[in-house]
Amino acid sequence: MNLKKMQIVFGLVLVLSLILSACTPETVTVVEEVEVPVEVEVEVPVEKEVFVEKQTVIYNSMNGDPDPRAADEEIVKRFMEANPDTEVIHSIVAHEDFKTAIRAYLTASTPPDVLTWFAGNRARFFIDNDQIMDISDVWESEGWNESYPKGFQAMSTVDGAQYFLPTSWYWWAVYYRVSVFEELGLEVPETWDEFLAVNETLKENGYTPIAIGTKYRWTAAAWFDYLNMRINGPQFHIDLMLGKESYDDPRVAEVFKYWRVLLDNGYFLEDAAAYSWSEALEPFIAGEAAMYLMGDFIRDSLPDEVEADLDFFRFPIIDPSMPIGEDAPTDGYFLSANAANPEAAKAFLAYLGSVEVQTYNAETLGRLPTNSGVDRSLFTESQQKGMELIDGADFVAQFYDRDTTPEMADEGMNAFMAFWDDPDSIETLLADLEAARQEIFLEE
Amino acid sequence: MSRTKRDIIPYLFLVIPVLIYIIWVIAPMFYTFYLSLTNWNGLTTPEFIGFKNYTKLFNDKVFYISLINNLKWLGVFITVPVALGLGLAMMLNTAIPGEKFFKMTFYMPMVLAMVVSGLIWGWMYHPKGGLINTVIVSAGVMAKGPGWLSDRDIVLWSIIIVAIWRQVGYVMVLYLAGLKSINPQLLEAATVDGANRWQVFWGIILPLLTPVTVIVLVISVIDSLRAFDLVSVMTRGGPANASSVLANFMYIESFNNYKMGYGAAIAVILFLISLSFIALYLWRVMQDEMEY
Repeated sequence: MNLKKMQIVFGLVLVLSLILSACTPETVTVVEEVEVPVEVEVEVPVEKEVFVEKQTVIYNSMNGDPDPRAADEEIVKRFMEANPDTEVIHSIVAHEDFKTAIRAYLTASTPPDVLTWFAGNRARFFIDNDQIMDISDVWESEGWNESYPKGFQAMSTVDGAQYFLPTSWYWWAVYYRVSVFEELGLEVPETWDEFLAVNETLKENGYTPIAIGTKYRWTAAAWFDYLNMRINGPQFHIDLMLGKESYDDPRVAEVFKYWRVLLDNGYFLEDAAAYSWSEALEPFIAGEAAMYLMGDFIRDSLPDEVEADLDFFRFPIIDPSMPIGEDAPTDGYFLSANAANPEAAKAFLAYLGSVEVQTYNAETLGRLPTNSGVDRSLFTESQQKGMELIDGADFVAQFYDRDTTPEMADEGMNAFMAFWDDPDSIETLLADLEAARQEIFLEE
Repeated sequence: MSRTKRDIIPYLFLVIPVLIYIIWVIAPMFYTFYLSLTNWNGLTTPEFIGFKNYTKLFNDKVFYISLINNLKWLGVFITVPVALGLGLAMMLNTAIPGEKFFKMTFYMPMVLAMVVSGLIWGWMYHPKGGLINTVIVSAGVMAKGPGWLSDRDIVLWSIIIVAIWRQVGYVMVLYLAGLKSINPQLLEAATVDGANRWQVFWGIILPLLTPVTVIVLVISVIDSLRAFDLVSVMTRGGPANASSVLANFMYIESFNNYKMGYGAAIAVILFLISLSFIALYLWRVMQDEMEY
């Protein structure tokens, strides 16, 4: 008797869940089809009544590190002081979490209005999927078409319209401890042979030549980027990133031959996979490791006395006949295509792209501004040197995981780590990567 | 109260919890199954592609690495912590001095959140400054300690040890409760009949503990299949997928690579594996009930 009743209840549950599950996909599409402006019309008047004409802008950023966080909050504060009728609701989410959550933000019924993001392929993906608002009018009214260099304009433009606001960028280079180089009488290496000689001298004298922490893998991707650009040229590199060249090309195998020399000679920090990039700074700060291939944000995490002992040089030239490519990732902002309050959001965006904010960021964080209206004489010596480094490049790439698709980057970086562990397996690894490339880029 | 009324009321009370359960558990389950048949990047409308995700999954090396890692985890988990936990329970069930202190100490790791355990052990495993390698090197065992989390051959075991460390105290508490419910007269009678301590343990205590053992095994199986936190905190599945488990693989595919459909397919497979173990357990429990 009891069993029978249980069966009936279970049967009911099953039937109900089937019905519900059959409904779910449809309800989802219904939600997507609802036009957001309808909701806005309902919401805005209510808020107006409450706040008396106060407009709101929802701003989500990924400036989680201490210094950038403080700067970000300061900028929002200043904007609200200058525009008392606008309220900016600001939330900061850590970098990795932000990357994970952004698709959920954008597809929510009330997405954030202004978001931080990466220029290039990563932004292009959202533009192609109609998630980013056309902000050509802001570019026009703010005069950015004149005040932003051509390269940054091109980066933000798709089919003649602007969608992105690049605000800051930084360069990659080989950072080194000046005192260690001086002690051993080392010169800054310009060619590959000189670079190997520097490594050997450092190693003989008991130093770890190159610090690196590969727990989150992207630090190794920087080595791939540079070796590939130096050996095969930036054009081949970027074509590989876009899926137009294949990973089983002998030119790619060549990259790993060079890489392997560094691994076989033990020039990299031991047990690199156990450290994050900042944990691997420890021996660099202690003066036990001499060099670190890193972006300029390395400064944010160094104590002042180490920063005073820090300099950088261009990744050594391998094939002098190749044009020079550099990694210089650009960060910026975009407006969500479904922003609830486009006018206020555009006003905030205009402020973010202004000379005032970019000057503030350049001064406090040492990032390089994109707006050429910023007074260059304010730059520190290292900023000047970084600008020269990039000015001297024939091609500027973003970074491995920004230039190629997230999926391909994941496969690639895993292969780099497997190669690091077992360099003999490179042939199979590249064959696997090629299979992954064909699948990933065929799908798109 | 009429008969029908008495029959209906319990179900009326059930309506709300059952509805909640359907909306938050059953429906998402079916929705996941539906998603696993689509190609969805989180932005566009899911596109139906049949069983393509599954055929791809069964040709994916990482899937097999993760599956085998899960099975290794499972194999260790249903033996080592169970044996250790039972051993501890047997020892601490007798009145030894400081018995409460030991019980508490062994149970302590369970109180910590998984993420916290992962972080603490991550520091202990630190290749240079970590507790373990410092001890190894200063005791002169090895000139240089192993890379616990960077060596592909040992990374999974390093993580499993943490999981065991956490699980032992839990198993111990379950067995202690089981031991308390054994009638001491049975043990006395056996001793009077001339059974030695081993015979008492194998012939009386262990069989009487069977219901506890079944629960412990089921918990161990479920815990090893849903292993995620420790891996995610300590290695994110690395280096080069060496410590990947299915749950971590699913997370990376869905939220790092934005292949929601593919991630859903992994979830479905993980669900089916769990289901087969749970079905086995339910079937056993039902059989036992039939006997009485």
